[in-house]
Amino acid sequence: MGVTSMRRRGTLKTGLLPGGNVALEKIGLTEEDVRDEIMSEEQDLVKELVTMSTRECIQAIRDLPMCMEDKKNIRNQVLASKSSKKGFLLTCSADCSEQISLSLRRCGVGLSSARQAVRLWQGTMKEIGGRFGTSVLSYFSFLKWLLMFNTISFLVNFGFITIPQLVQTSGRSPDVRFTGLELITGAGYFNQTVMYYGGYINGTKDSDFKYNMQLAYFFTIAAYLVLCGVSLIYSMARSFRRNFVLSDLSSGSAWRLLCSWDFSMVNERAVRQRKNNLRVQLKESLSEMMQTNFLPVSERMKQLGIHLCTWVVSAGLAAGSCAAIYYLCQYNLQQIKVSQNPGNLKEEASTLLLPFVVSLFNLVIPLLYSLLSKVENYSNPRFQIYVIILRNVFLKMSILSILCFHWVNNVTTNVPMCWESYVGQDLYRLVIVNFFFSIFGSFFGEFLRRIIGTRCMPSIGIPEFDIATNVLDLIYAQTLTWIGIYFSPLLPLIQMIKLFLLFYLKKVSLNRNCQPPRRSGRAAQMQTIYIALLFFPSFVGALSLVAYTVWCLTPSDSCGPFQGLNTTFEAVSLWMEDTAIISEFSWAVWIYSHMIKSELFFFLLALIFLVLIYFFWQITQGRKMLIILLKEQIINEGKDKAFLLEKLRTFQNLSLVPYHAENVHGPQYFERTYQTESDYSEGYQRGACPEEDTPPFASSALMQAMMARRQAEEEDEEY
Amino acid sequence: MGNKQTIFTPQQLDAYQVGHSARREAGLFYRYHNLAPQLVPLDYTSKPDVKLPYELIGSMPELKDNPFRQRIAQVFSEDGEGNMTLDDFLDMFSALSEMAPRDLKAYYAFKIYDFNDDDYICKSDLEKTLNKLTRNELTEDEVRMVCEKVIDESDLDNDGRLSLEDFQHMIVRAPDFLSTFHIRI
Repeated sequence: MGVTSMRRRGTLKTGLLPGGNVALEKIGLTEEDVRDEIMSEEQDLVKELVTMSTRECIQAIRDLPMCMEDKKNIRNQVLASKSSKKGFLLTCSADCSEQISLSLRRCGVGLSSARQAVRLWQGTMKEIGGRFGTSVLSYFSFLKWLLMFNTISFLVNFGFITIPQLVQTSGRSPDVRFTGLELITGAGYFNQTVMYYGGYINGTKDSDFKYNMQLAYFFTIAAYLVLCGVSLIYSMARSFRRNFVLSDLSSGSAWRLLCSWDFSMVNERAVRQRKNNLRVQLKESLSEMMQTNFLPVSERMKQLGIHLCTWVVSAGLAAGSCAAIYYLCQYNLQQIKVSQNPGNLKEEASTLLLPFVVSLFNLVIPLLYSLLSKVENYSNPRFQIYVIILRNVFLKMSILSILCFHWVNNVTTNVPMCWESYVGQDLYRLVIVNFFFSIFGSFFGEFLRRIIGTRCMPSIGIPEFDIATNVLDLIYAQTLTWIGIYFSPLLPLIQMIKLFLLFYLKKVSLNRNCQPPRRSGRAAQMQTIYIALLFFPSFVGALSLVAYTVWCLTPSDSCGPFQGLNTTFEAVSLWMEDTAIISEFSWAVWIYSHMIKSELFFFLLALIFLVLIYFFWQITQGRKMLIILLKEQIINEGKDKAFLLEKLRTFQNLSLVPYHAENVHGPQYFERTYQTESDYSEGYQRGACPEEDTPPFASSALMQAMMARRQAEEEDEEY
Repeated sequence: MGNKQTIFTPQQLDAYQVGHSARREAGLFYRYHNLAPQLVPLDYTSKPDVKLPYELIGSMPELKDNPFRQRIAQVFSEDGEGNMTLDDFLDMFSALSEMAPRDLKAYYAFKIYDFNDDDYICKSDLEKTLNKLTRNELTEDEVRMVCEKVIDESDLDNDGRLSLEDFQHMIVRAPDFLSTFHIRI
């Protein structure tokens, strides 16, 4: 492509012109020759750009590594040659379409600049990134991303399900008084409102209201979940490709020194701290190099034993908490059966015990896990982080699965009234109490620790912002929301408000109590892992629970839009039967009965996908081998280049003997001769220290190639 | 704030589409103007030739604590000394924005780390980079060992120094680079 040649051209121009005239004469080239070379390369590039479409052309020019003036020159040349080509075919319509596309582009630019102006939290995120770096910023971007999911969910649910219901039942008000406790327990006044499943009724049977609430409820939630799934898979795949496939698994000095400096840090103290951290990390990696890693067998067995013990203890803790929660759930159910007075305040408050215990376990047990990990000794700190994350995810998901199991098995049969509303209320309480515990955790984990670290025990120091724990907390809360969409369509609103408040709380706590992270870890790879965790146990689990509820469970008889049906999905079957009568939609009915309902179709589809996966896997293996071969080729080319340059230099040394008779030492010293000329070094002041042995020209290989070509032309002329 | 149209002609605005900061010329122009209000005119339609000295550029809050601010200004300025015209200024923030592609960023990062401008990052360049990043607190031996290790790890064609291709190969394996080589303005 022209791009690589243009890079050389840029360096050629800047390297030669300041002081190069004198030196150029010495090797027999004039400035004009160099300029001609540059012009011809430019013309090649312009020719290449003219053949592209306008948008590709603009993108290619944008990506050229040149200063803006040169890019504008190139652009003008391209436009000139394009219009001269069109000059022969210039018609009115071509001119008009040109003007229209130009004005459309300007319009688009205006719109996107307006969109940039209203981006949420832009200034705050810049500030956080400037003080704490990109890895802490990734937590806040993740929060913003989840906020977007919940906003879409709320808007969709509100628009398609809640508003029709409100219109339908306007005038009817629930017969329970509003006390403040409802905001936390979610029961009482909220019980019969549109907050939960029970507040929705399918009105097509009673009145002339033509809105089929059953289909609306089902399809809205299904469409939103499918959209979520697609968007998550897309983000996950893109992130994986960018951050895992091409990356080097070992973090070496080269990366740390050259690629990891965060240019966006603007706070002096943060910069100083970052420099300290880098120094410490480099020293550590140097000392690691010198240490030998051989441990005797007994040490290894001991390490293995410790690892096994800690895993058993963590699994035991998780199992213990699950059992405790299960017994508490059973106790709650029994209380409902026993209770006579449904509006009793004390009973409503006792429903808060379960969420309290769940959140307490979610807060305390990870702390125990991090204590355990201090006992273990991991050689690789990144591996340690992975193990901690794995254990935390295991704990949270097992607690959630016990709760889901309880809801699906016991609640459906034992609760006298609306079991879906009961589950919805449980989820509401879990979300609210989780929020309070997040604030709590922030208070204890950051504020108190800072006070202790600065006043009482200075050895601990100021805490860092624990990204992993906070992100896993967000993922857990989002799982609850996704599970709760079916049982409580307005739960995303609560989650939205919660995330909004959490952003500001965490920001304040971060600014006051935390210091920037000490280890500059692989932020991009951790991002991918978090997105993958959001997809795999979190979204998939929620989706399977909702799918199971829709497919297999009987909706309650006394409330909700699906009263009287055997399963929720039956609503769709009934609808299909109704449309089968109408002959225009027989294709839809055919699709439904032969593709969605038949197992053979899905079996064949799965088989085809498996074959495709195998095929792509083989392609990947082939590409890996190709990469290895290409790397070897690069090494060989480097050796060839060095060999040929050496030959060229010795040959030119011999042919230009009058200038360099005393300096024919070898390949490295050819360039040094220019530095001994005082008039040359005056003209070349930027950057080069006189005592270093670096070549003065930007690209000596190119210069020598040009020289060799010039000499060959001269010899041709002689003959 | 004035209208974009009063600072630049529509042709000039179109021409600025070649940068990656294409939608933010007005904001960037006002930042440039505020560095030296008496030197920078508010009307650029006549293409005035105004160059701000390096001291003003280096005092911007986004750059003043950056250890590489001098190199950044030198790389993007036309005269190589750090004195920037408006075009250079836009260029700089375009290459350091989040929309610039990886190759472009790698090219400019290479030029920034190449202290002696010889198109290769040699050992002395690495030593200077290391000293800027660690405040001269490593010993001579440690500096030497780190630089040797860096060249060992990333020199593909075995010529003892890093060419642009070696550097780009290293960048491809470091996915964080796109987000760290980024100045927010």
